[in-house]
Amino acid sequence: MASDNKKVLDKKDINRLAFDSIFLQAGFNYERMQACGFLGAQLPALKKIYKDDKEGLSAAMTDNLEFINTHPNLVGFLMGLLISMEESKADRGIIKGLKVALFAPLAGIGDAIFWFTLLPIVAGICSSMAMEGSVLGPIIFFLVYLAIFAMRWFWTHLGYNLGVKAVAQITDISEVLSKAATVLGCTVIGGLIASYVSINVQTQIVVNEAKTVALQADFFDKIFPNILSIGYVFLMYYFLKKKKVSPVVLIIVTFVLAIVLSFFGIL
Amino acid sequence: MEITLMQGIGLAIMAIIVGVDFWLEGFFIFRPIIVSTLTGLILGDVQLGLITGGITELAFAGLTPAGGTQPPNPVLAGVMSTVIAYTTMTEATAAMALALPFSFLMQYIILFCYSTFSFFMKGADQAAAEADTAKIVKINITCTAIIALLYGLVVFLCTFVAQDAMKTFVEVLPAWLTHGFEVAGGILPAVGFAMLLKVMLKAEFIPYLLIGFVIACFLDFSNLLPIAVVGVALALFVYNIEKNMKTGKAVQNIAEEEEEDGI
Repeated sequence: MASDNKKVLDKKDINRLAFDSIFLQAGFNYERMQACGFLGAQLPALKKIYKDDKEGLSAAMTDNLEFINTHPNLVGFLMGLLISMEESKADRGIIKGLKVALFAPLAGIGDAIFWFTLLPIVAGICSSMAMEGSVLGPIIFFLVYLAIFAMRWFWTHLGYNLGVKAVAQITDISEVLSKAATVLGCTVIGGLIASYVSINVQTQIVVNEAKTVALQADFFDKIFPNILSIGYVFLMYYFLKKKKVSPVVLIIVTFVLAIVLSFFGIL
Repeated sequence: MEITLMQGIGLAIMAIIVGVDFWLEGFFIFRPIIVSTLTGLILGDVQLGLITGGITELAFAGLTPAGGTQPPNPVLAGVMSTVIAYTTMTEATAAMALALPFSFLMQYIILFCYSTFSFFMKGADQAAAEADTAKIVKINITCTAIIALLYGLVVFLCTFVAQDAMKTFVEVLPAWLTHGFEVAGGILPAVGFAMLLKVMLKAEFIPYLLIGFVIACFLDFSNLLPIAVVGVALALFVYNIEKNMKTGKAVQNIAEEEEEDGI
């Protein structure tokens, strides 16, 4: 892959990327979560990078349309980092591997900071003010979150600058790095499957009055935790790759299956 | 007190704005403390909005969408607690409890959208294949617009048209159906991961997938950072070996060339 280190993005483009990161969840769905918005936010920058190179743009779009679920307030960091890689036309494997490796830890950090720490504190303080009839409660609440939103510019520039520095050093060994990035990505996907796909069988088999066997707790979990989750992922993988089944069919089947099994009390 | 048509429309417009913010998680104006205050403002009783907002916010501070589970909807909780306190003169805490069915109603609607919006991804894949950027933008706008309309409609119906009827509707919804949406939400990411593996997973990478999976299964920890660190360790391991192999080869080549020169 030719690596021409021409910079095509300026500060304005990164500022725009930071704002557009608000669209992260615009096309949210359970199959690929934030993918459509994640791509949408990066489109202006990607268009500028690839210009007339339709194939390059298409490859970048396809990659960015893969499953992603990260934290809205921190996503700018990831977008900035990846866009700097796109700009220097880094190997697609590196970009993809980095993305897959980073989004989940970033989500975990973001949830811990914003949902579990900041919200209870800010909500607690502001609510007590509001309950006493002070309009300062909601106003302070709003200002705090406005400041958090403004941080998106900081995160996005941080990611971008970091990427630019890193990319300069990695271009000559990109093949090896791409492989290493894929290793990292696959490790994290393994973890993602265990934590994002949840299948809980509710069925209990009554042996006699003294003993009932809960299929999930006494059977599946005893074999291996999350065995149904990874099993279902590989079943889908098999249908997609070997049988060339359309993902739409798989989504419909999964959705109907979930409702039907819920009706019979199995899931 | 009755809600007037103008107030109903005002609340619907407000719901569209904060509803879109809820969808995007942008400015957090979808939290009950803000929503209730705005509702109070529209109804002409800011004090009431502040009090119900404070109480509802406290109750909802622990209900977060972190980790992919969808909590009862904070927008409807904020609107309805204030509206119920306003129309029926109930205490703020009781009004908050009475608002819960509406909060659940919107939660189910959002869950349903999360599942069904998956169908947009086929068009998105096509757009990516054809480098059609406008289509991606269109899908994003369509999804957000559907959510905005639903918020406006539901809030208008719940506040102005048929508060009681909407409540009854939530109560007759069978548990298996609403539970079914949650189950679908738990399984559908499997299709997304399978799509991801379809492009990334070559046989040589299966070991790393298994390592990540096993660690996540037995590690009781709130985020995936430890697994990412293990991933980095494995990646460095592979990187060092492959790099040494390459430079090793290069050294060998030079040595061979020198030998040839010698001859």
